[in-house]
Amino acid sequence: FSSEMQLVQVLQKLFDDYVKTTSSKLKIIDAYMFYILLTGIVQFVYCVLVGTFPFNAFLAGFISTVASFILASCLRMQVNEENKDEFNGISPERAFADFLFAHAVLHLVVVNFLG
Amino acid sequence: MKLLLLLLAASAAADRVLVLVDNMSIRESHSIFFKSITDRGHSITFKNADEGSLQLIKFGELQYENLILFAPSADEFGGTITAAEIARFVDQGGNVLLAGAGSNVGAAVRDVAADNGFEFADQLIDHVNYDSVLDDGTHTTVVASAKSQLMEAPLIVGDRSKLGPILYSGGALVAAPNNRLRLDVFKASSTAYSHDPTKPIKDYPSAVGRQAVLVSAVQARNNARLVLTASLHLFSNQFLSATVNKEGTKPSPSGNKAFVDSLAKWVLKETGVLRVKSVDHHKVGEKEPPREYTIMEDVDYKLEVEELKGNKWVPFDGKDVQLEFVRIDPFVRTTLKNKNGVLSARFKLPDVYGVYKFLVDYRRVGYTHLLDVQQVSVRPLWHTQYERFIRSAFPYYASSFSMMASLVVFSFVFLYHKSDPVVAQAKKTN
Repeated sequence: FSSEMQLVQVLQKLFDDYVKTTSSKLKIIDAYMFYILLTGIVQFVYCVLVGTFPFNAFLAGFISTVASFILASCLRMQVNEENKDEFNGISPERAFADFLFAHAVLHLVVVNFLG
Repeated sequence: MKLLLLLLAASAAADRVLVLVDNMSIRESHSIFFKSITDRGHSITFKNADEGSLQLIKFGELQYENLILFAPSADEFGGTITAAEIARFVDQGGNVLLAGAGSNVGAAVRDVAADNGFEFADQLIDHVNYDSVLDDGTHTTVVASAKSQLMEAPLIVGDRSKLGPILYSGGALVAAPNNRLRLDVFKASSTAYSHDPTKPIKDYPSAVGRQAVLVSAVQARNNARLVLTASLHLFSNQFLSATVNKEGTKPSPSGNKAFVDSLAKWVLKETGVLRVKSVDHHKVGEKEPPREYTIMEDVDYKLEVEELKGNKWVPFDGKDVQLEFVRIDPFVRTTLKNKNGVLSARFKLPDVYGVYKFLVDYRRVGYTHLLDVQQVSVRPLWHTQYERFIRSAFPYYASSFSMMASLVVFSFVFLYHKSDPVVAQAKKTN
């Protein structure tokens, strides 16, 4: 087989395994993270094209997406049953509560910095 | 009330002139000149140059507004008058008209001229331009052409094209090169030179051709005026009413009368005097100036200037008065539009804040120096005067709020979804 065909096959297998083996809970988080990633990229491209004029607004928007992405990935780690032994003493409910609290702080800061 | 106004108006030219002469016959030999001065409202006091009671300044106040020195041979002035006293007189705004001579100029007169940057040279001789009737053979009665030898300054000399030939008999002035305030009103022709007519010429003459100045004017920085000349005969009745006879030209009346009249009017501050009647500035659309202006505002500036003409203040008609809006350097420079003495301009304030001056600094030959400064502050925008939402930042606003909205949606979906039983993980087989 040629190398491209092999690459395509590997990616296809990866995608199928992902669909089969991840729980729907995690898939929801992954979809949410994908949306955050898109908005982050769109903002960054816009800034590169148009210029940094209200730099504070750009930073607020971009940091909002980046931090949301990070918080979502933290939530995904903590609610994943496979990692139960890592996070001893942190129930999924606790993880979700922490997630919401951190988001509250994040959005307060973002709105303030947005101007 | 009306009487008071009449008195005030009349007093515009009711100033005192002190005339110092070295012998009283000058009063008669120059009577036409003196009469023209008194006819215009001045009051003349004749005194001998060495009289003991002379006093220009008494207890710090000027005793006279103008001083005419027709005493070329005076070695010392009487009373308290010295060259230093005359300099103080000018510093306080007094005007001086000084006439010298070609020979025998006294030390006191030389001192006054030296204070103003001039030296007296010998008698002026011109073998080409002399009056064939009035001259005594030494070619010292010189005929000068108004058009080529007078300066272009209608306020000081009058209309050059209408003046007849001018008779001159006397010495010449030599100006120091660093004398920047002087105006060479009347220069000698290129064929003239100054030397003692009775002695043979051994040295190069002290003043030759157009370097020899016959009448010079100085306007000090406080607008006091001085006119210096080296000829007393210029003002004499004989020259004022003479007919000029020059070889090769038709006899014509001398232009001395019109010339010395213009000179006298200028030096006695009757012409070429400007003053500011009123000045104001405000935002376009308002009437009063604000406490401070804001950057980028539209501003109206108005200046009313009057000129003294024939003893009355009339609106000034100069079309080249400039306004500068200066904060160390001028940010705006515009020519004011003149509408019947009201000079106005409208412009936009610069985008830079600071303390500025509306500066009008008008210097023209023959006019007094017109200076008006109005200081104003220009402030930057208040933070409530900026646009609240910036159009180019809308994507960032949108993304931030979409993050919050998607968080809410995600939380609902995450908490209330029905999770499918997890597919048993197939053991990895190779």
